[in-house]
Amino acid sequence: MGSILVVAEIQKGAIREASYELVSFAKKLGGDVSSVVLGSGIAGEAEAFAKRGGGKVYVADDPALANYNVDGWAGAIRAAADASGADVVLLSNTPSGWDVAPRLAAGLDAGFVSDAFDARPGPVFVRRVFNGKLDAEVAPTGGKVVVTVQPGALAAFEGTSEGATEKLALDLSGLRAKFVETRVAEAKGVDLTKAEIIVSGGRGVGAPEKFPEVIQPLAAALGGAMGASRPVVDAGWLPHEYQVGSSGQVVTPKLYIACGISGAIQHLVGMKGANYIIAINKDPDAPIFEIAQLGVVGDLFEIVPKLTAAVKSAKG
Amino acid sequence: MKILVCLKQVPHQDARLDVNAESSWIKEDGIKFEINSYDTFALEEALRAKDADASTEVVVASIGPERVTQALRTALGMGADRAVHVKDAAVDGSDALGIARLLAAVAKEVGPDVVLMGLMSDDSNASAVPPMLAELMGIPHATAVVKVEKTGAGFRVERELEGGALEVVDLPLPCLLAVQTGLNQVRYASLKGIMAAKKKPIDVKTAEALGLAGQVGAGAAKVRIQKIYQPPKGEGAEILTGSADEVVSKLVGKIKELGLL
Repeated sequence: MGSILVVAEIQKGAIREASYELVSFAKKLGGDVSSVVLGSGIAGEAEAFAKRGGGKVYVADDPALANYNVDGWAGAIRAAADASGADVVLLSNTPSGWDVAPRLAAGLDAGFVSDAFDARPGPVFVRRVFNGKLDAEVAPTGGKVVVTVQPGALAAFEGTSEGATEKLALDLSGLRAKFVETRVAEAKGVDLTKAEIIVSGGRGVGAPEKFPEVIQPLAAALGGAMGASRPVVDAGWLPHEYQVGSSGQVVTPKLYIACGISGAIQHLVGMKGANYIIAINKDPDAPIFEIAQLGVVGDLFEIVPKLTAAVKSAKG
Repeated sequence: MKILVCLKQVPHQDARLDVNAESSWIKEDGIKFEINSYDTFALEEALRAKDADASTEVVVASIGPERVTQALRTALGMGADRAVHVKDAAVDGSDALGIARLLAAVAKEVGPDVVLMGLMSDDSNASAVPPMLAELMGIPHATAVVKVEKTGAGFRVERELEGGALEVVDLPLPCLLAVQTGLNQVRYASLKGIMAAKKKPIDVKTAEALGLAGQVGAGAAKVRIQKIYQPPKGEGAEILTGSADEVVSKLVGKIKELGLL
C-alpha cells in the first residue's frame, strides 16, 4: 500500500467526527496518511488535525471555500492529491463527499468505490448493494482509487500523529456553481424524536389508506406515534414529517415496530438507536431482520390488526 | 431547451436476488426489470419542462442489452421525444467511469443544455456516474437535488443535506442535475403515449461508433467486483413461529416484558 490522502471536512467550526473515522479507515488499509482540510479561516483546525491522525495536512483555506462548492472542492482536493501523490483518496460519504468524489475520480482517471463500510490491505473495499440486500467486495485493477466511506462505520481515530501543515496555492476564480444559502429544516409537525414507541410502515404497507387503517391504530393502542420509511413519503402517502431515516428524523424510542420495511441503510441509520426493535415483513431475507431483536416473517395485514386487538384487550 | 435524461434499467425492487455462479453479480435470467426509481423522477422533471415549453426536446439515453429497449419505450411512452440505446456486448463489465465515458460520448452528439439523471441506482447504489459524466463533459453539477427552478441564466436548485437541511445553489447552463427521489409525482405512460412511442426513433449505438472501442468494458475498468454475497448473518432477530394468534401473543408478552404495556 502506498500513500493515502484523507479529505477532512469542517462542520460547525471543527473537524467533523467522520473525518477521524477516515483516519481509522486509512490505518486499516495501511500506508502513509496525509490529509487535506478545506474551508475558510481554518488554520487552527488544520494544525490540530495534523497532530490527531491527519499527518501532513494540506490546507485549502480560502473565503470561496467557506461553503461547499463543487468546483472549489474538486480543484482543491485535486491539488492536494497531486501534491501528495496519493494512491488512495478517502472522503466521507456525506453530501459534500458523495458530490465531489466521483468527479475527482474522473478527473484523476482513477477508480471509484462508493460508501465503503470496511476495507483490508490490497486494497479491497466492502460495500452494500441492492439497497442493503447484498454485499460486494471491490478492488482497484491497478491504478489510483477514490473511495467514499460510510459515516459511523468505523470508530473515530483517537491516537496522535506527527504532522505539519502546508498551505495550498489555489486559483478559485472560475467557480461556476454559486452557493446561495443553507436552509435548516422546517419545524416538524410530528416530533418522533420524543416518542417512546413508534410503529412505522414501509413500502410493504402498499397503499396510503392502509396507514390510518392498519398502522395508526396499533400506534394509538400502544400510546405511541406513527412513522414511515422514505418510499412512503416519496410516493406522497404521508408527509415528510413522518419520515424516519438519514434524511428524516433520527429516533431512539424504547420500542420500534417496523411493518413492511425492508431495511435500506438510510432507514436503519434513523432507527437503529431504538432500545428494542420488532420487525414484521413477508421477506425472510429483508435486512431489517438483521437489526431487529424480534421478527415475524408474515403478512402484516394479518398480524398487525390482531396485535392491535390484543394490545387493546391487554390494556383492558 | 434540449434535455438529456440518462436512464438505467435495474432489477425490479421485488425481484429475487440470487448470486451468479462466479459470485460477480446476480443471476439476471428470468427476473423482471424496471427503470431505476431515481431516474423516473429525473425523466418526470424533464417532461414537466416540456409541458411548460413545447419547444423543449427530451432525449433519453440508456446502456445495456436488448431488454433496455423496454425501458426506453416506456420513457418514450411517457413523453420523451427520442432515445439513444448503447447496445454492445463490448461494454459489459464497464465500471462507472466506463459508463460515464459512453454517456459523455452520447451527450457530445446530443448537445444538451441540461443533463438530468437519478442520484443513484437501485442496484449498485453508487452515486458514481452523474458527477463523473459532468466532469468528462466539463460542466458543473449538483447531486441529491430535491427542487429545480429555472432562472434567467440557468437553474436554482435545492440539494438535500443531512437531517433535513437544504443547500440552495445556482448553476449556469449547461449543467448536470442528479435528482433525489420524491422530487415530483411521476406520471404513467398513457395508452395514447404508448401508441405514439412506437413511431419514435431509438438510435442504437456501439462503443466503436461512439469512438470508445477498447476504452470501456471489463478490460478498461479501474475497479472490479471481486465477490458479491449475502451479508453475513449476525445474531439477527429471533424469528417467531407458529400461527398468527400464537405470534401475536408472544409479541404482546414481549411488549409487557419491556414494561410498555
